[in-house]
Amino acid sequence: MKTGFLKYSVFILLISFIFNLESYAQETDVSNYRMNFKFNTIKQPDNSRLLEVNFIGMNKKDRKDKIPVYDAEIKFYNVLNDNEVLLGSSKTSKEGIAELVLPKDQNYLIDTEGNISLKAQFEGTDALDGEEEEITVKNIFLDLNLEVIDSVKTVSLKAYVIDSLGTKIPVEESDIMFYVEGMLSKMKINEGTISDGEFDFTFESNLPGDIDGNISVMAMIEDSDDFGNVIQKKSIAWGVLDKTFNVENNKLWSKAAPIWMYIVLSVLLIGVWANYIYTIINLYKISKSKIQKT
Amino acid sequence: MDIISRKKELAKEFSPLITKSSFTLKVWMIFLATVVMVGLYAFYLQVKNGHGVTGMRDNVVWGIYIINFIFFVGLSYSGAFISGILHFFQTPWKNSVARIVEIMTVLSLIVGPIFILLCIGRLDRLHYLFLYPRIQSPITWDIIAIMTDLFGCFLYLYLTFIPDFAILRDNHDRHMPQWRKKLYTFLAIGYQDTPEQHKILHKITGIMSTMIIAMAIVAYSVLAWIFSLTVQPGWNSTIFAPYFIIAGLYSGVAVIIIAMFLIRKYFKLDHYIRKPHFVGAGIILLVISLLFGYFTFSEYFAKWFSHKINDINLLDTLFTTYFWEFIFANYIGVLVPMVIIFFRKFRSINSITFAAVIGVLGLWLNRFLIVVPTLETPYMPIQDTRPEFIHYTATWIEWSLSFAGIAAFILFFILIMKLVPIIPMSGIIDHEKEPKIKPKILTQIHK
Repeated sequence: MKTGFLKYSVFILLISFIFNLESYAQETDVSNYRMNFKFNTIKQPDNSRLLEVNFIGMNKKDRKDKIPVYDAEIKFYNVLNDNEVLLGSSKTSKEGIAELVLPKDQNYLIDTEGNISLKAQFEGTDALDGEEEEITVKNIFLDLNLEVIDSVKTVSLKAYVIDSLGTKIPVEESDIMFYVEGMLSKMKINEGTISDGEFDFTFESNLPGDIDGNISVMAMIEDSDDFGNVIQKKSIAWGVLDKTFNVENNKLWSKAAPIWMYIVLSVLLIGVWANYIYTIINLYKISKSKIQKT
Repeated sequence: MDIISRKKELAKEFSPLITKSSFTLKVWMIFLATVVMVGLYAFYLQVKNGHGVTGMRDNVVWGIYIINFIFFVGLSYSGAFISGILHFFQTPWKNSVARIVEIMTVLSLIVGPIFILLCIGRLDRLHYLFLYPRIQSPITWDIIAIMTDLFGCFLYLYLTFIPDFAILRDNHDRHMPQWRKKLYTFLAIGYQDTPEQHKILHKITGIMSTMIIAMAIVAYSVLAWIFSLTVQPGWNSTIFAPYFIIAGLYSGVAVIIIAMFLIRKYFKLDHYIRKPHFVGAGIILLVISLLFGYFTFSEYFAKWFSHKINDINLLDTLFTTYFWEFIFANYIGVLVPMVIIFFRKFRSINSITFAAVIGVLGLWLNRFLIVVPTLETPYMPIQDTRPEFIHYTATWIEWSLSFAGIAAFILFFILIMKLVPIIPMSGIIDHEKEPKIKPKILTQIHK
């Protein structure tokens, strides 16, 4: 009983610093949760690198019950053999996500094979154990080109890594996906495998694009063991406006109302206001009859 | 009957009501004017600081302003409806209540729409409604309906006032101020009660009385459609238009009873406003309360039985957060008037008035429960927002403007009573001129 009380007291005290107060911290027993610490890296279109940790408590019995770990400090390191260089640190958000963006000209410790080892670490508290995860990626570069070749809209991609001497070495093989960016989501237009650092295909979509006809094409390597996540993006005015778009008239949602609405409204208003005018004319007759009488 | 001397008698009888004001009445008028002034100050603060001074936020964009709007416009339409019925069917006891109803109709149609203006955040863009109307929008229909109805009600009220203006013009006492004499002469437009004039006035009043019954139904239906043509939970209902009309009639009859009680008591008109008038109005209130209860039950029963998730969320809110308001609006506000008026032995002037007060309060709350809980339980809740942005509580600004509206309504009512007698003199003369109905058939049987 005493142990239970102590356990809960300490738990409540610690968890209130760790968890979001709005996530019912006082009602949650941390021993019921298994901590999920997931480290990820995304190379972004401007060649900067995003380091991201998802730190979530998963209920051991109820799969739907997930509680993000809030305000936990995550440290990010670049590791080579015994050397550890602190890249920066970040605290988890209300969603349990800690992020750190490394600039495109960041200097990394790289091994002889061109691998960058990155580590994310949570040092732990009295209530929560420490967590760490290490990933190793190659610093890949994607050159995305959108051009019309012989009247054919062509998407071409070159993928390479740069060795210690600054030489571009084509990527031998990697899966690649292509998307078109939308307002809320993205739409897949092609997928394939990069071979000898290149991948080309014909852009056959007849999407309208944005208001200026611009289309954003994205090339993505997703969850690659060698490269992690890599995104490259480019926009071009390849939108095809569907000229057959019909403008609907006289509908509930069009600029002009349905005809019957005008008719009904006019009939009603004319009927009522004609009666008012008739009444006013009769009032005038009453006032005129006074003059005749006098 | 010597009509001219009778007119003189009536003018003499009612002149003190118009020209003299008791000390109590003057104090009341000063108090009402003060409440209106406080409301105007609140309005100044609202315009100066924006709608942040009200309790209206992202979810509940309509608060008690719109509830007051529906309530007052409901009074107006029910007044128009009842007035039209009284004139059209030449109801025997119409003289005692007709003018109360007519004044209520016009005043509430002036006060009601002001609350809509208070709801609008950018009053400087108000003219856009007229410059760029969208015919498909029920809001546009409502603007057209209110303006048309307001003009019609004014015209109708004026028609019913003309014979009395003429009597007051011709039979004023020497103490009457000059401006009043000029005003009555102007407003009477030379009406001399000649047979020809009488016939014309009777004809156009008859037509207008029919007209405003139809207009009241159309205009209040349009107001109901502002709600029911949306897909919001609790509003998207096919019976909302008739439900609104019944609810409007319910509040209208109740307010008429309260007005009859106050006018009878404070203006010493016991001779004209008698118990049978209260019983008659009470029985109408009973019939309408039955209809209102039936519509209310149908409305909520269908929502509960269909068990759509958003309707159920709304009903949960009504039975938890707004439990007592719901009980008062839909149980006490309907059943108490019903019980009081149903049993003959409970039917006294005081008890019928009490029933009417309960009915009015219940109906105002009913409007509140239509507007606010629905807006607090939308289809698409705003995530991660502050609780005060979801839940609505009216601020003192809104309450003071609401009370200012009520005060303005009563104040203008008193001022109109100072212009023309609350009991139409011409109606009394017309009633006295009518040949008394003889029970011919009975007489023949006896023979």
